[in-house]
Amino acid sequence: MSRIGVFICHCGENISRTVDVEQVAAQAAKMPGVAFATDYKYMCSDPGQNLVKNAIAEHRLTQVVVAACSPRMHERTFRKAVEQAGLNPFLCEMANIREHCSWVHEDREEATQKAIEIVGMLVERVKKNRVLPTITVPVTKRALVIGGGIAGIQAALDIADAGHQVVLVEREPSIGGHMAQLSETFPTLDCSQCIMTPKMVDVANHPNITLHTFSEIEQVDGYIGNFQVTVRKKARSVDEHKCTGCGVCMTKCPQKKIPNSFDCNLGMRTAIYVPFPQAVPNVPVIDRENCTMFKTGKCGVCQKVCGPGAVDFEQQDQLIVEPVGAIVVATGFELYRITEKPKGSPIKGYGEFGHGKIPDVIDGMTFERLASASGPTGGKILRPSDGKEPKQVVFIQCVGSRSREKGISYCSKVCCMYTAKHTMLYHHKVHDGQAYVFFMDARVPGKSYDEFWRRAIEDEEAVYIRGMVSRLYQKEDKIVVMGSDISVGVQVEIEADLVVLATAVQPQKGADGLAQKLGISYDKYNFYSEAHAKLRPVECATAGIYLAGACQGPKDIPDTVSQASAAAAKVMTLFAKDKLEREPIVARVKENGCVGCFACKKVCAYGAVEEKEIRDRQGNLIKTVAYVNPGVCAGCGTCQATCPSKSVELDGYTDEQIVAMIEAL
Amino acid sequence: MIQTIDISSYSAITDAIRSEARRILSDSTVSAVIGYTAGRRVGTTQPIVITTADEADKLLFSAGCLNDLVVYLTKAKKDVPKSGRIGIVVKGCDLKALVGLLGESQLKRENLYLIGIPCSGVLGSLLKPSAELTSETIASKCCECTDQLPLGCDFIPAVTPAPLPDLEKRYATEIARLEAMTPSERWEFWKEQFSKCIKCYACRQVCPFCFCEQCLCDRNRPQMVEQTPRPSGNTAWHLVRAMHLAGRCAGCGECERVCPMDIPLNLLNRKMAKELKELFNSEAGFEVRDTGPLTSYREDDDQSFIR
Repeated sequence: MSRIGVFICHCGENISRTVDVEQVAAQAAKMPGVAFATDYKYMCSDPGQNLVKNAIAEHRLTQVVVAACSPRMHERTFRKAVEQAGLNPFLCEMANIREHCSWVHEDREEATQKAIEIVGMLVERVKKNRVLPTITVPVTKRALVIGGGIAGIQAALDIADAGHQVVLVEREPSIGGHMAQLSETFPTLDCSQCIMTPKMVDVANHPNITLHTFSEIEQVDGYIGNFQVTVRKKARSVDEHKCTGCGVCMTKCPQKKIPNSFDCNLGMRTAIYVPFPQAVPNVPVIDRENCTMFKTGKCGVCQKVCGPGAVDFEQQDQLIVEPVGAIVVATGFELYRITEKPKGSPIKGYGEFGHGKIPDVIDGMTFERLASASGPTGGKILRPSDGKEPKQVVFIQCVGSRSREKGISYCSKVCCMYTAKHTMLYHHKVHDGQAYVFFMDARVPGKSYDEFWRRAIEDEEAVYIRGMVSRLYQKEDKIVVMGSDISVGVQVEIEADLVVLATAVQPQKGADGLAQKLGISYDKYNFYSEAHAKLRPVECATAGIYLAGACQGPKDIPDTVSQASAAAAKVMTLFAKDKLEREPIVARVKENGCVGCFACKKVCAYGAVEEKEIRDRQGNLIKTVAYVNPGVCAGCGTCQATCPSKSVELDGYTDEQIVAMIEAL
Repeated sequence: MIQTIDISSYSAITDAIRSEARRILSDSTVSAVIGYTAGRRVGTTQPIVITTADEADKLLFSAGCLNDLVVYLTKAKKDVPKSGRIGIVVKGCDLKALVGLLGESQLKRENLYLIGIPCSGVLGSLLKPSAELTSETIASKCCECTDQLPLGCDFIPAVTPAPLPDLEKRYATEIARLEAMTPSERWEFWKEQFSKCIKCYACRQVCPFCFCEQCLCDRNRPQMVEQTPRPSGNTAWHLVRAMHLAGRCAGCGECERVCPMDIPLNLLNRKMAKELKELFNSEAGFEVRDTGPLTSYREDDDQSFIR
């Protein structure tokens, strides 16, 4: 006979404002099987939890229903409390009378009635709950970091320094990411390369880090503590072990006029190339699309001049399976290309700004390359069209960002600061030049950030104009920028030599595809979603996968590095244990009903279903049935829904429990 | 106008089945052959399992060979030996069911010896067993048959079936009529049909795909479907049946044939098949499929039905 305790939470006023909690408690007390019912202001607080624990002892409760918020919020909290009081945690259920009731209703009487019915359903359900034992699985203490930008580098170094093996996978031929492209960094104006490249070298030299550059994630199998990740190491056409990085191949390559994407296509590179001189690893890669050898079958100069014989035209893509226990996703961002209107996307493009048509309208990253000492101009600000030094430069902020009509409603966060930085860099290099900035408002919170922005205006003489640009067009060798200054209410027209657009920060192309391989969720812009915006900001909802950097949302370098270290700390917490405890919410096959059609095996996204032979004592095969590996099962319930004979049960969500809930209504 | 259907090839087919059955039984290729033999009333047939070459002459093929024998491989296997390779006589429609069972791990191809029938059609019912096969008496499924010649069999009599005359596609006509109805009219139609059901479960017994050892409709903890033959339980049963067959049904039409209350069960199955064909370009055929349309997911699946 059940002795169920029902605990109704006021949630401050969140629930009690709309639901008569005392009446719910009074009605719950009358429900069959209920031995005790009460209400309390904050059930999740320490006294609230103690109330539950004491009631279990005092009233000899066998099951517990907590009527409060969503189980996503506090199921763990109460199951832990119930466990401390000596009950199996899975004999505790949450009745969601907040999100499902008080928050969405106004009529107090009806809401109270609905709350009573929700509690009634959970009371019937909890009667059918079974004691579930915790499942333990081993942990592979080896981490995968996806993305070799500053986020990935920081996370990899932190985990490796803690003594764990790390596999770092980077799509490009070198690690470094966008930070390696930057000239100087705000708010201190130290050289990006100077602080970045030593970290890149640390990665290359770290005994605990395995680096796969020019590689992509092909497939991800497994689960927290036990992932199997297949990495596609793309054919580099150069043997990494033989190459000494002497660079003779690059000097001899006849294909010298290929735009270098690292320099935002301002500079040229050869077909066999390293993206930039400080690349890690310092091993060139052959761009097969532009290589004469691959296009015509004749050339092979690089192979002839290579002393160690590292050039290998026959090299194939390699698939490497890496067993890891945790994954840090740090795939970063790319800048919004305003000329593009991606098909099926709400993003509408900015044709009126002439980007891509007028050569002297560039984006922020291109300006970084112009200002960089290692850039195509050697750090001189020269405009792309004719190589002249621009005397009037217009910076336009919020291009793409914060524009609901254009499809991106978020703030890209870094543009206010980097535009202020750009005006300073420009002023340092072109003393007689003038920088103008069109801006909506300056968003510069952060340590020393506001001071930095004010310095740009007060000491470095940038003219900030509050307002947006309506149109710009080429007039002889000038670009006429037409905008408004809303602070004084006049139209402004500036004849600029160069226009720099602070375009929006977006997730990398293909971010959604990677998310699908990893089984993590992402928002409508393809930024990856954290498990909880405030309390679990670096974890994904998928256990064992963590986020670092701008793949989650626009971030500057300090925030990215902090988050990368936070993700590393989470991985180390996971690796501190030898065995992991898993929720026993897994599917179970009822073998007497199973006919072995294996529809469950076909639909299982986790590869958790295996075939199992049932034999009699003489060893004769009776039948082959499905078997769910509880270590692999994620408890999604797809097999349960698919099984034609209803021979799969999801523990914690059995048909009996669900039907009991329906019948209680 | 009533058209006669040419089934002159059936005697040659009978001879070929007999000699092939004799051969594979005498050289122990198979331990048994499942086929048709003459029934007690003239013109009727009944399934038979033969295990010796001497019995081969009992086999025959005629317009009265209605049964889908595939069901004998999975559940009605009283006389079928448990081990060894089994020979079975299959028409095109039967073979599609067999292929479906191969895809659902219920049968193994290497354990089977398939004797295919170049079929010109069978009778719709054996109420008048000696009736001539005409455009009136032919089974509805045969009117829409596109697979007279089964593919992938181990043996097929060297007979080319006479092409069927242009017959009225009865299911297609009826589906078009139902589709033209309003949803409430259609619901009335099916409610009327399901109300006739006496829950004898003959449709379940005869269906090759109803191979569950314990049907979910028989379960009582929890009870999923009301078991008494009342309208709500009847409707639930037929909807569960239709949904479980969606993407699997091979169209042998046995459910409709055995229904004592004349519920147009295959009409429901054909409608489901039509939907699956339109949504996922998937239909029963002679090639074993690893996954069915409803047990696989592709990103480019048609989502338009979600409204």
